[in-house]
Amino acid sequence: MATSIVKADQPLLAGGKLHKKKKKWQSYALLFILPSFLLYTLFVIVPTAGSVYLSFTSWDGISSDVRYIGFANFVEIFQSPRVQNALKNTMVMTITLVVLENIAAIAMALMVDKVRWFRNLFRSIFYFPTLLSGIVMGFVWAMILNYNFGVFNQILSAIGLGDYIVDWLGNPKYAMLSIILSTVWKGAGYYMIIYLAGLQGIPQELNEAASIDGAGGWKQFRHITFPLLAGSMTVCMVLSMISALKIFDQIAVMTDGGPGFETETLTYIIYKVGFGELRQGFGTALAMVLFLIILIITVIQVKFLQKREVQL
Amino acid sequence: MKLQTKRRLAEIALFVITVLVAVVFFFPIFFNLMSAFKSNAEIMRDAIAFPKSLYLESFKYLLTETEFPRAILNSLILTVVAIVAQVLIIPMAGYAIERRNTRWTRLVFLYFLAGMMIPFQAYMIPLFKELRMLGLYGSLAGPIMIYVAGAVGFGCLLYTSFVKGIPQEIEEAAEIDGCSRYGIFWRIVFPLLGPVTASMVVLNGLGIWNDFLMPMLVLPSGQAKTMVVEIYRYIGEFSSRWDMIFAGTAMSVVPVLIVFIFLQKYFVKGIASGATKG
Repeated sequence: MATSIVKADQPLLAGGKLHKKKKKWQSYALLFILPSFLLYTLFVIVPTAGSVYLSFTSWDGISSDVRYIGFANFVEIFQSPRVQNALKNTMVMTITLVVLENIAAIAMALMVDKVRWFRNLFRSIFYFPTLLSGIVMGFVWAMILNYNFGVFNQILSAIGLGDYIVDWLGNPKYAMLSIILSTVWKGAGYYMIIYLAGLQGIPQELNEAASIDGAGGWKQFRHITFPLLAGSMTVCMVLSMISALKIFDQIAVMTDGGPGFETETLTYIIYKVGFGELRQGFGTALAMVLFLIILIITVIQVKFLQKREVQL
Repeated sequence: MKLQTKRRLAEIALFVITVLVAVVFFFPIFFNLMSAFKSNAEIMRDAIAFPKSLYLESFKYLLTETEFPRAILNSLILTVVAIVAQVLIIPMAGYAIERRNTRWTRLVFLYFLAGMMIPFQAYMIPLFKELRMLGLYGSLAGPIMIYVAGAVGFGCLLYTSFVKGIPQEIEEAAEIDGCSRYGIFWRIVFPLLGPVTASMVVLNGLGIWNDFLMPMLVLPSGQAKTMVVEIYRYIGEFSSRWDMIFAGTAMSVVPVLIVFIFLQKYFVKGIASGATKG
């Protein structure tokens, strides 16, 4: 075999060779994609399909009795006061968080962009809380806001504001606010980085030209910086809204959905109902509702916000 | 001259405001680290004060009497193995999808992207059941596969857009020299994708290290629980032992702080590139 001059397995025509190479390439592509495809299908798509099915059952999560009950879970979702309350909490929390986080992030980005000294240090300090787990951060805030020993109330009384001492996590009036503000503390730095990248993309000449024309700081921000940040804003609004809809860790540590049901959100109720109260059929139905909400809001938001983006 | 002093004052005012905001931002972390060196009585007595002496008993207790060291090790194994698996699997898929642009690869790409919209909560209940069926419940292998699967959509999005920027001529030259597709990918393309890989490693690594809900569902107890799950458990167990909780949380903050100091630029780049490509 080794002595034969013309190798039999090598077609002489170029067309045939090319064709063979293409075929080979195709099988490589298949092998390259296959591991991702299998894992993704098995651990994302199959369970999601399972959720669609389970949402029409009254399964408890343990027994083998998976009974099909049609739309009964969804009817219950629309009628249950507890779910209505969780939906309301989710909406309040999401809207407040998106607004506050983005305002804070833009303000921080402007500060870090304009301040003269220790820029990198400030950027790191604002950004660092985003690196911590929600559980750890929730713990720290739960201890800071503790009614009896918490450092926040101690500071209030030390500076003569003792009348304002309240049980920040145990009082229904303030529990939601406490979670929202600590989440802004944790999350804003992430969006700050995105806004900072956006700010650095704005040509300096625009602001210089405007200031020669006599535009002050606020006018420059209103008419130059703000419109040109619209691209970063689309990204930040979508990301902050999705993460606000999915908020879980902070609630688990700081209030456990309480006091009463004051801080119970959609993601929290899914977990509680599915694993705590053994109603996994109902829990998955709620999860489907969450999925649809995220899908619809993201699509609308991207469409709407992209319209007002300015291209340079 | 007058304009200059005015500008100077504005600069100083901005600096002072920034410092104040930074103090508010840094305070919880500083407070946590400081309190870890106090005894429980000292924390209850004067929460704001500096520790009177370096009290190390809570660290000693956590490291010798509890499962904390085991939990740290589990978190480390889980993060490292899942990230290595992601880096071995996802770039290949992104590369093949971009270079072999046919109808079926485009369909697969859309199929992967769809996953980015699905929140974990939407499939966690059947996933829990599936892991039990596959015999993966309670072992680290299950979460590793779940993390890889969950990263496919965004990972492919990142990698395809970066592969686009790599000139095909390099690959063709290698092919003429007799390099196989695996060789071309791993020896030529993959090193060029370094910056994307670095951002993916840093961001996903952090996400896995900090994740709570999934590990709590599938690794709730025993030998396999992660550090975040262990810390969560302390709410019940050490409800009146703040020294334990502060020491535990401080031990989880310090490694992140150290990694952040060294890899800062990758975190920042990762977010910026992830945001613009996403």
